[in-house]
Amino acid sequence: MTDFRYIGKRISRPDGPDKAAGKAHYIHDLKRPGMLFGKIKFSQHAFARIKHIDTSKAERLPGVKAVITAQNTPEIRIGFLRDNFALKKEKVRQYRDEVAAVAAIDPDIAEEAVEQIRVEYDIQPGLFSPDEALQKGAPLIHEKDSRGQARIDNIVPLKFHHESGDFDAGRRSAKYFVEGKYSTPLVQQSCMGTAGCIAEFDMNRNLTLWAKTQIPFLAQRDFNRALSDMGLQGKNTRIIVPTLGGGFGTGLDTHTYEYIAVLLAFRTGHAVKILYSREEEFAYLSPRQSSEIRILQGCDLNGKLVFRKVEVLQDNGAYTSWGATYPSVMMLPATSLYRVPNVFFNARLVYTNNTYCQAMRGYGNPELTWALESNLDELAEEAGIDPYELRRLNCNLPGETTPMGLKISTCALKESLESVAKRIEWKKKHKKGKSRGVGMASLVHVGGGARIYKSDASGIFLKLDDFGNVYVYHGGVEMGQGLHAVLTMAVAEALGVRPEKVFINPTDTSTCPWDVGTHASRGTFMAGNATLLAADKLRNKIFELAIDVYPREVKKSLEKYRKKNPDYQPPDIDFKKSARLENFDLKDGYLSIKDGPSEPWLRLELGRFLRAVHFCSKGQMLFAEAFYDPPNELPDFEKGYGNISATYVYGTQGVEVEVDIETGEVKILRLTAAHEVGKVINPEGLKGQIYGALAQGIGYTLYEELKTEKGQILNPNFKDYKIPTIQEMDFPIDLDFIEIPDEFGPFGAKGIAEPGLVPTAPAIANAIYDAVGVRIRDLPITPEKVLTELKKLGPSVK
Amino acid sequence: MKKEILFSLNGIEVSVFVKGHERLIDVLRNHLGLTGTKEGCGQGECGACTVIVDGRAVNSCLYPALEISGKNVLTIEGLQSPEHRLSVLQQAFVDCGAIQCGYCTPGMILSVKALLDSNSKPTEKEIREALQGNLCRCTGYVQIITAVKQASSQLQELP
Amino acid sequence: MKGFDYFQPQSLEEALELKKKIPGSRFIAGGTDLMVQIRGGELKPSTLISLRSIRDLSSIEINGNIRIGAMTTVTDLIYNPDLEHKAKLLVDAARRLGCPQIRNVATVGGNLCNCSPCADLALPLLVLEAKARIKSLSGTQDVPLQKFFEGPGKSCLSPDQILTDIFIEPVSNNTKAVFLKKGRVKMDLAIASVALLLEMEEKTCRKARMAAGSVAPVPLRLQKVEVFLEGKALSPELADLAQRMASESVAPISDVRSTEEYRRHIVGVYVKRGIAQILGWSLD
Repeated sequence: MTDFRYIGKRISRPDGPDKAAGKAHYIHDLKRPGMLFGKIKFSQHAFARIKHIDTSKAERLPGVKAVITAQNTPEIRIGFLRDNFALKKEKVRQYRDEVAAVAAIDPDIAEEAVEQIRVEYDIQPGLFSPDEALQKGAPLIHEKDSRGQARIDNIVPLKFHHESGDFDAGRRSAKYFVEGKYSTPLVQQSCMGTAGCIAEFDMNRNLTLWAKTQIPFLAQRDFNRALSDMGLQGKNTRIIVPTLGGGFGTGLDTHTYEYIAVLLAFRTGHAVKILYSREEEFAYLSPRQSSEIRILQGCDLNGKLVFRKVEVLQDNGAYTSWGATYPSVMMLPATSLYRVPNVFFNARLVYTNNTYCQAMRGYGNPELTWALESNLDELAEEAGIDPYELRRLNCNLPGETTPMGLKISTCALKESLESVAKRIEWKKKHKKGKSRGVGMASLVHVGGGARIYKSDASGIFLKLDDFGNVYVYHGGVEMGQGLHAVLTMAVAEALGVRPEKVFINPTDTSTCPWDVGTHASRGTFMAGNATLLAADKLRNKIFELAIDVYPREVKKSLEKYRKKNPDYQPPDIDFKKSARLENFDLKDGYLSIKDGPSEPWLRLELGRFLRAVHFCSKGQMLFAEAFYDPPNELPDFEKGYGNISATYVYGTQGVEVEVDIETGEVKILRLTAAHEVGKVINPEGLKGQIYGALAQGIGYTLYEELKTEKGQILNPNFKDYKIPTIQEMDFPIDLDFIEIPDEFGPFGAKGIAEPGLVPTAPAIANAIYDAVGVRIRDLPITPEKVLTELKKLGPSVK
Repeated sequence: MKKEILFSLNGIEVSVFVKGHERLIDVLRNHLGLTGTKEGCGQGECGACTVIVDGRAVNSCLYPALEISGKNVLTIEGLQSPEHRLSVLQQAFVDCGAIQCGYCTPGMILSVKALLDSNSKPTEKEIREALQGNLCRCTGYVQIITAVKQASSQLQELP
Repeated sequence: MKGFDYFQPQSLEEALELKKKIPGSRFIAGGTDLMVQIRGGELKPSTLISLRSIRDLSSIEINGNIRIGAMTTVTDLIYNPDLEHKAKLLVDAARRLGCPQIRNVATVGGNLCNCSPCADLALPLLVLEAKARIKSLSGTQDVPLQKFFEGPGKSCLSPDQILTDIFIEPVSNNTKAVFLKKGRVKMDLAIASVALLLEMEEKTCRKARMAAGSVAPVPLRLQKVEVFLEGKALSPELADLAQRMASESVAPISDVRSTEEYRRHIVGVYVKRGIAQILGWSLD
């Protein structure tokens, strides 16, 4: 293992002090001169024809500068299937549809104006489940597709399919098999900082959007297209990303409220800010995609997995966003978690009048793993094999290629299983009853980016100034996960300067090079690799120039030194021999000759070197760029094949629980998580990411659920949508980071932002089963559900 | 019709004219431009808006502005030391990985301050009870507890 | 949210006069419930009349009887050194109300007047057989707390009345009490809660008082179960019967927070566990 100067050591995150002082500026805090406030009128009906919108009263309200509807604005289609609209014209298809919007001089007036807008609807009975929407004769949610062609049903035209091996043969060769149906609900990302943006045009009619986004460049593309729709062909969008109050996937799409802000800004000639209140965030922002998964797995007499069938059904809601692509990620565990030779995977997505869904951390993996790992325990029981042994028997190994074509380089699944079994005291505590039990579950996730678009690349610019400072321009987004800290460490390490001299610039499409987006746990992997490339170039530039500049400058230093120390005898140095490209080193911001004498005047401070390079005839400023494109491929999701990532992460979590058989309450006694990370870069940051993910995993397992009725969210507030507080995380958690450096990872590291919440739910469910013999297949595992099942088991429960 | 409120804000006397329905958080963020205090929910559920009034932590999103007259208010801006240094407590949050997106951080830190000011050696149970009204979606809380313990022992060592 | 006026009367008379004079006005105590309801549009007052500046509404007096001013904050109630001994049940329940930020501002009177079926302070006060002092411009009356709650969000107060104090009589030395609350997470509205008080003479129960929250339109005294236990020698078997009786005597609903069956079940379990906890039995 290489000895790193900064990597793997503690760092104070660079954005920490401002955040601790309340000096970080989030969208909520930003103001622009003359800025107006926008508010949106939402439908309140799940399925209706819009008969008439009367905005006259709202328009007359003093302080209102614009009222817009689909009638008085150009049509802007959004979403990758182009089936959504910024403002709805003829129909509303979900409770949260946007029908009008207001810009006013203050938020209270805007809110009052929205209340004054009267909309007349012709209400239709809605479709609130895939079953209802698939019935013969069910009305069409969308009568035409985006090209104007008639649709014949409510099935979303996206295909996710995989077949490998000989499924029927595999099925026949199974001695044991178990089928199960599992479900996950709508879950809210619940960022502490709600959604919002500021849109502003300049007098050249170019747009600037301060956005809560994780995809600044794809957003630029989306908004440029919207500008075209608005008659502003050729005009440009600049996306600026301020400090974000969380992301967790909410920034992966462009949202109707952003397009509405743009329309209002254009109409009024002023900057317009739209900010969601907490209620609006819950009721009108797209949540995590729900799922229904049917899974059938079988093994032979010895427990070797011989086939796996997975069928996914998703309620797509009224429009299509990234929730619809969860099956592309679900394919990974379906085909590649444990070694299974014969796999069948298919997903169906159905339009309904429920809310449409977007990305959330894990992006389909927690959902599929919930089904897969719960079902695997059921299979273990059926086969009479210990669930830990069954997993170990079938665990993936380094160097294999999975049925989906994933090229597993390093793989620590075996190590993570063993680590968890040891730490959770598996042998001692499994199958001991008395209302206590242990359970485990594993995961596989992308760790080296994820090519889901034409490019999975990431660029970086490094700029040096006259003082030895390094300015970093990178298109990745800091949303709290610690990207800026990792970037600082990577630049310091790769270039050879101190972290305090590294300055990360704000993410801004007008200054930073292209990056597809901060998702799929790719931030560190991309930023790190791009840094290594650019830093290498920059070091070469420095060392090339140093051949001439270094000897000149150190001789000046020597003269100065000799003046102060007249008796000093310098060592004999042949600069012609030693001042060569390959002999230089840059460390802690000092240029020197590798393995040279350690005289102080031989250490040339980088700033001084740079000034010497700059302030001379034919002077130069030093700068380097790199565009890192990882060795992965865009899979064919209809065939279910492609090495989507440069590397993969495996891991396992184990939980010990105690179940109160009288109340159905599940108490977590301890949790252990073993994750392969390639290399720990920022120890405190990494721990924070896992602890945070575990908290989200626990919430998702035990109580988080957006409840809906006829398309309306019934619990749009923290009073009734409970997320873990500090009290709920009151059990010992131990973390094991398994470091097996990956050849593609920067400093050996793999991405780790999402895995922390992928196997948590099945680990807990498996532990509950071990404790009291109750198997819950529908999240969340509430005390009500546990008690209902316990009652069915009767007095035999101990 | 606006009424005047006079109160002490981070040690300095302040006068503001407010409408009847305004909240303390509106005074801080909109009238006084102190955006360190965050609105996370406006319903007293998340604690992001926590400030300290007369030594006690309160949700400024539920606190009627007119009630603040004559009281002492401490916001996150009032914590830092002269010469632009973070307080011991703030620094502990930075050092221990207790900050990620930072949106909950000002409210969280003030809840801790209110705790440590009245109980300088809190047990872990007491820390959890003091912070149960401050939601965090990023950190999982573990390192926040570490930061509180570190700050508490550092503050006790101070002369 | 529409704006409203805000007045800060210095005396009870001034407050009552303002209320009479201004149509659409409401009293505000700590505001932790009211401000949320206004923001959510459930209430649209034209004016709020604050009770915070009225002296003597927030003092606690203990001499024999206990008098708690309606504007006493929940925190002040918890930290009153005498209440900890003399009305421990009330203090225990107060500790389970919300979080520090809420408790520092919420008041005893506000919690009661909000009339939530699960008001945390209502249960112990019902069990302690508290009396509510109600004042209007025309006089004062003391009302048993049981008669105070008329329905969800509706107290017995008429628009011209203010709750000013709560009176509790001291309990005997043989009295023990317990407060049990179930939320979806630790800090939560109760999806079911129980306050239970037993006065024991050796193994015999001389007096039983119990109240349950979130299982009826109002915080509910479980009088049938009280009568059942009184005069009997308490045993685990009897506690089981009390459990069943409690479950059968409540009328919970299913809502976004929990189900009718589950609430009904929990109330029974908590009655049984409450008895066991008071009497120091282990339940295995």
